Amino acid sequence: MGSTQLLRAVNLSKFYGRGHTEVRAVHDVSLEIPHREILLIMGPSGSGKTTLLSMLGGLLRPTKGQVEIDGVNITALKETDLPGIRALKIGFIFQAFNLLDALTVEENILFPAPLHPGGLRRARPRAHSLIEQLGLAQRRKAYPRTLSGGEKQRVAIARALINHPRLILADEPTGNLDSASGQEVMMILHDIARDEGCSVILVTHDPRVEEIADRILWLEDGSLRDRKSEQHSWVRDPVCGMRVDEWTATLFHEYKDKKYVFCSKRCIERFKNEPDKYAKHKNFE
Amino acid sequence: MMLRWAWKTLIRQRGGLFGSAGGLAGAFILVIFFSAVFRGEATQIVAYLENTRPDIWVMQRGVSNMHMATSFVYDWKADKIARLPGVKRVTPIVYLNTIVHAGDQDAFSFIVGLQEGSSRAGPWALAGGRSQLHSGETVIPEVLSKLSGVGIGDSVTITDRSFKIVGLSEETYSMANSVTFVSMSDLTDILSAFGTYSYLLVDLEEGIDARGFTKTIMDEIEKVNAMTHGDFVRSDFALGMMMGGEIIFMMTVICSGLAVLILGFTSYTQVMRKRRELAIAKAVGIRNLFLYTAVVFHAMVITLLALLLTGIFAIVFFPFISTLVPQVTLVVSIGDLAGMAVVAIIVAAISALIPAYLVSRLDPATVFQV
Repeated sequence: MGSTQLLRAVNLSKFYGRGHTEVRAVHDVSLEIPHREILLIMGPSGSGKTTLLSMLGGLLRPTKGQVEIDGVNITALKETDLPGIRALKIGFIFQAFNLLDALTVEENILFPAPLHPGGLRRARPRAHSLIEQLGLAQRRKAYPRTLSGGEKQRVAIARALINHPRLILADEPTGNLDSASGQEVMMILHDIARDEGCSVILVTHDPRVEEIADRILWLEDGSLRDRKSEQHSWVRDPVCGMRVDEWTATLFHEYKDKKYVFCSKRCIERFKNEPDKYAKHKNFE
Repeated sequence: MMLRWAWKTLIRQRGGLFGSAGGLAGAFILVIFFSAVFRGEATQIVAYLENTRPDIWVMQRGVSNMHMATSFVYDWKADKIARLPGVKRVTPIVYLNTIVHAGDQDAFSFIVGLQEGSSRAGPWALAGGRSQLHSGETVIPEVLSKLSGVGIGDSVTITDRSFKIVGLSEETYSMANSVTFVSMSDLTDILSAFGTYSYLLVDLEEGIDARGFTKTIMDEIEKVNAMTHGDFVRSDFALGMMMGGEIIFMMTVICSGLAVLILGFTSYTQVMRKRRELAIAKAVGIRNLFLYTAVVFHAMVITLLALLLTGIFAIVFFPFISTLVPQVTLVVSIGDLAGMAVVAIIVAAISALIPAYLVSRLDPATVFQV
């Protein structure tokens, strides 16, 4: 692995079930993430985003393939060695915030700190600095139930950063937030990559997050494809008229030397049944 | 931080905490209660011995108890012992285990026959009447008097004879045993054991070693057993406890099983309720060992709280029970409480096994579920 790559996933697959009931949640995904990059993984619900993130974070063992973080093949590690990797090299941010109800803001942030060799003593100044940095100074002793969604997510971000991880994995970090809080969280994640030197992998289908991403990957049916954030090619489904991004669309049909893009299987079937009826509609905007 | 989290999680659910500890304390209290009942009974069995307290007890050879025992010692042996250098006084008693019929109550009793005019070996605390006995008179326990409704001036029946109550004694009644005093001549007549006593209470001159003197008595007087007061009391107490030992053991096993179920269920529900937080802890890198520690910590805190409640209950309410139900004597020993604590800690460790297994199987990837 090159020194510029923080994370490398090679031919990563996760299958559930066997035979007729086999579900390919993630299929043959390979990706590399350099230091300080913000990578956005987008895709529709059920596309395998969270499964991929779980495998990248060492929370789920892949069926095939391997994941290297900072040169360590975590898929080859024993179950007992994985917590150490998660505690020191990865910070997790979740859509549901996942704070511990019984602990205050400061205690939640410090929760993973004893896992670092420096322990709580080293972590306290760091926690104070993160609390200030993330605007939580007035809420230091507050319990999660009294916090707003944005505050909860900022606490979760501080907790993810407490042990100076090299990699942040964020699952729908703006999913439960209003637009202002979502925007704020996005900018914090952007600053983390810049100031902390972390790489951030964001899994979301919130298009607002595209603004801060260095690279966007599209995951659909368990497979990845590259996509640059600024590249959209909006077209209209000739059957229902819905706007579809040609870059990310997977349903195509050629008729009379012309390529048509569809939003769903239902629309493509209807088109095939009566192509002349729909072909007269203009497909491109 | 893990223990802080475990502690704060526990005290946030005070209802559950005290409910579980209360249930567990209930099981512990049952064990302690039964143990206290038997210890109380055993204590009552030796109450007469403890309160007469001679230096040496002399009885027929082969006998080493008063409770459930029969002993005959010829009267001339008492005279011979009295003449041994170092002996201050020998007080003979005649003794019989039998039933006292008082009103509609039947009470199992140590019947002690006292020499007329002697105050040694008689009732040590009187609630009323007198302790000096003549033929046809008796001193019965005050509790028996209250339970049966007979009092001073009334009669009770012992074997086939009627005795007039002239005194009521204190501290001489329990569920399984009581002490009734009659004159020696009456009891000798009942037993048809003329020229014999049952036990001899030997008081020694000051400075004489009682243990050494028992050997002297047994060397000088044939076919008798001599025991120091301490040995004799221990022997009778052990017999009393032995009679309840199996029941205490059974109760301890049953209640310990109950405690394991209560605590195991509590720990199980705690893990199930907190499995998301446990998964979060796993996801951020907390090792299973720390999570097991948290589960065991919960079980231990609940157990210690239950032990505290048991101790408070035993100290505050057991004496109250004895006051309310005078025939029940409850005695709690430090040893019983310490034994209970050991059992409780074992119970806590066992009950944490299944929850610990659940923790080990918990999938940290569930944290992504919304």
